[in-house]
Amino acid sequence: MTALTAVRREDVAPAFNQELNGILHLLTCGSVDDGKSTLIGRLLWDASDLYDDQRETINRSSNAATGGAHPDFSLLLDGLVAEREQGITIDIAWRYFDTERRRFVVIDSPGHEQYTRNMASGASHADVAIMLVDARAGIKRQTRRHAAILDIVGVKRVVLAVNKMDLVDWSQERFRAIEADFRELTLRFGFREAIAIPVSAVGGDNVATKSEHMPWYTGPHLLEHLERIPSRDISPRGSFRMPVQTVLRDGLDFRGLAGTVSSGCISVGDRITDALSGQSAHVLRIATMDRDLEIAKQGQAVALQLDTDIDVARGAVISAADNLPTVASQLEARLVWLWETPFDPSNGYFLRTVTDLAPISSITINSLLDLETLAVQPSEVCAVNDIANASITLGREVAVDTFADNQQTGIFLVIDALTGASVAGGVITAASNGAAGDGKTFKLTRELLERGLCRDLGDSEEDRREFQRRASETALLLHAAGVQVKIEL
Amino acid sequence: MSAQFSHLDMLEAEAIFIFREAAAQFRKPVLMYSIGKDSTVLLHLARKAFWPQKPPFPLLHIDTTWKFRDMIAFRNKTVADFGLDLIVHTNEDGLKKGINPYDYSPSVYTDVMKTQPLKQALDKYGFDAAFGGARRDEESSRAKERVFSFRSAGHRWDPRRQRPEMWNLLNGRLGPGETVRVFPLSNWTERDVWRYIARENLDVVPLYFAARRPTIVRNGQLLVVDDDRLPLQPGEVPQMKSVRFRTLGCWPLTAAVPSTAADLESVVAETLGARTSERQGRLIDHDQTGAMERKKQEGYF
Repeated sequence: MTALTAVRREDVAPAFNQELNGILHLLTCGSVDDGKSTLIGRLLWDASDLYDDQRETINRSSNAATGGAHPDFSLLLDGLVAEREQGITIDIAWRYFDTERRRFVVIDSPGHEQYTRNMASGASHADVAIMLVDARAGIKRQTRRHAAILDIVGVKRVVLAVNKMDLVDWSQERFRAIEADFRELTLRFGFREAIAIPVSAVGGDNVATKSEHMPWYTGPHLLEHLERIPSRDISPRGSFRMPVQTVLRDGLDFRGLAGTVSSGCISVGDRITDALSGQSAHVLRIATMDRDLEIAKQGQAVALQLDTDIDVARGAVISAADNLPTVASQLEARLVWLWETPFDPSNGYFLRTVTDLAPISSITINSLLDLETLAVQPSEVCAVNDIANASITLGREVAVDTFADNQQTGIFLVIDALTGASVAGGVITAASNGAAGDGKTFKLTRELLERGLCRDLGDSEEDRREFQRRASETALLLHAAGVQVKIEL
Repeated sequence: MSAQFSHLDMLEAEAIFIFREAAAQFRKPVLMYSIGKDSTVLLHLARKAFWPQKPPFPLLHIDTTWKFRDMIAFRNKTVADFGLDLIVHTNEDGLKKGINPYDYSPSVYTDVMKTQPLKQALDKYGFDAAFGGARRDEESSRAKERVFSFRSAGHRWDPRRQRPEMWNLLNGRLGPGETVRVFPLSNWTERDVWRYIARENLDVVPLYFAARRPTIVRNGQLLVVDDDRLPLQPGEVPQMKSVRFRTLGCWPLTAAVPSTAADLESVVAETLGARTSERQGRLIDHDQTGAMERKKQEGYF
């Protein structure tokens, strides 16, 4: 029963009012067979601030499941009743634990092929991914598939945990062979950091303590490595972007553009531009309920008051005046199909960016990515779990960046207009203003809408939002009737 | 200011982002206000998100009539202090039938006095979105919850029909008959809630602080007798003990813990060093395995 008493951090109750040094979002990918739930369960058991009743529950349940040989660490991870019964992880589960200095968020996602979409959505929240393999099996097709998905959604750091080292007699040779395969694999992608660590999840070897069985391994154990990785990088970097969520007023002269700085930073006095309207102004005040700020950095939620009242509304992306996002109606994109219902060119879709929602005129699927060979095969169809390259024409212009330039403003969801479902998530690889109308495109103008459909609407913020809504819905209906349409307001 | 933000700074900014998105995307939101510490944090974040405006939605309290008296007093004071709109709703039908927390099983009581009136109120006022203080760290079925959690007609939660959420993109376009529960505190832990209450110096219901209160022990749980409606069993004589609550609900169903932590600082210190999770103190969740998951499918928050 020695496994039970390993490094339990008995008395690390943090000091009063302690704020932890940032948050690290950790994705785990691999299948049940590789011992994924056991690995993370072990990490929680050994290194985290688990409560006593949680430990008791695990000990109690384990006796039934494992005959009491050791705690069934995986019980800390598997959530829904249906999943417990089936013995697999279907959905994404979120777990939180603190070490002395840091908050960890564990995003547990399913490994099976039929859950590519779950893994992609889980990975989109991650700062680092732990990929798990069985030391006996080494790198598998699945490992390649996972690396490809991580790369697509923008994960920059990966760790290969080579598990069940006890079952290969702690063989250095075996580990080095797998490590070499891993290097070769990761070189094909844009990862910033990739490291392999030999572990045994059941025994806790190199999970939260250094293994005594593998003296030949001189690198960090898993927790040590994770604690070294910088937390989500929110230092001011890249050009300033802030998608506008709403406009706040105090009933007097305050009019604040409310949003969260998605990249870079902004200071009082800086000149900003709304790329959609082309208007510029200076920042007069950066307001929050607590106090006014001199500077707002990436990740901060603020309200910007400008020196001139430019006509900016929700959906706009405020940027530095000398580095604008692209105002585009034509996007090239890579997307993951998330929904059971396959892509249907005759269906109505919306494109959602962080705060904008624009009707889609057309989506053309160009090719599908084979996640194992990474080869691209021409295709016009796209269904659940597919990864596709696509061309998207929007019914009106939106402010975006390419994903390579800016991870915050280069992402989108495709939304089914009727059911509202998020059918795909994607990253923008190229954005342009699109070719001039080919003569067959119907221009839905402000004048046309004002004549009839929107004649009851005035100039208030609310009415303008309603105007936009009606324009979008009209474009969708026209599209459904087979008319290529572009909104020009 | 340091280049890095603390984890509380990040959680606060995330919650504000979620509030602003939901208010912009939904037609008629409401904030589920249950008076406890999570609701206190939730309301504070809502005020920050829309300042200098007031939050653009009312508060909704589902009153089972069995809340501690201190809770109701705190609720009324909070609403008055911040000039907020409050809607109080009770299942009058359940009240007439005499459904109470001691003659009926926790699952029946919760369904009739909490789940049903919540659905009634959402339907009555036509709310399409309701903010709640649920956190993913509370319970295993909550661990899979979305930030925008969709409910089909009849307010049913189907774990398999939930929309994938990628990056920070929140999709609030409703399908026919759908409504949404919005959880700005999804990524907070119990400890974060207390740390934040301390950092922001927020007022909370006095029941969270230790005081001498009349207690009885029933089924191994320490109960505080808040009024004379609970019939005492033979041998049950209320005794004055120094206790406090880690979680608040209907008083006959909410267990107290022995404690001498009488101010915010000592409560936070006690919470950060706590060795058992907070839902231990909620009798309804222990009813049966998967209790929370089942309740949610029936429309519980």
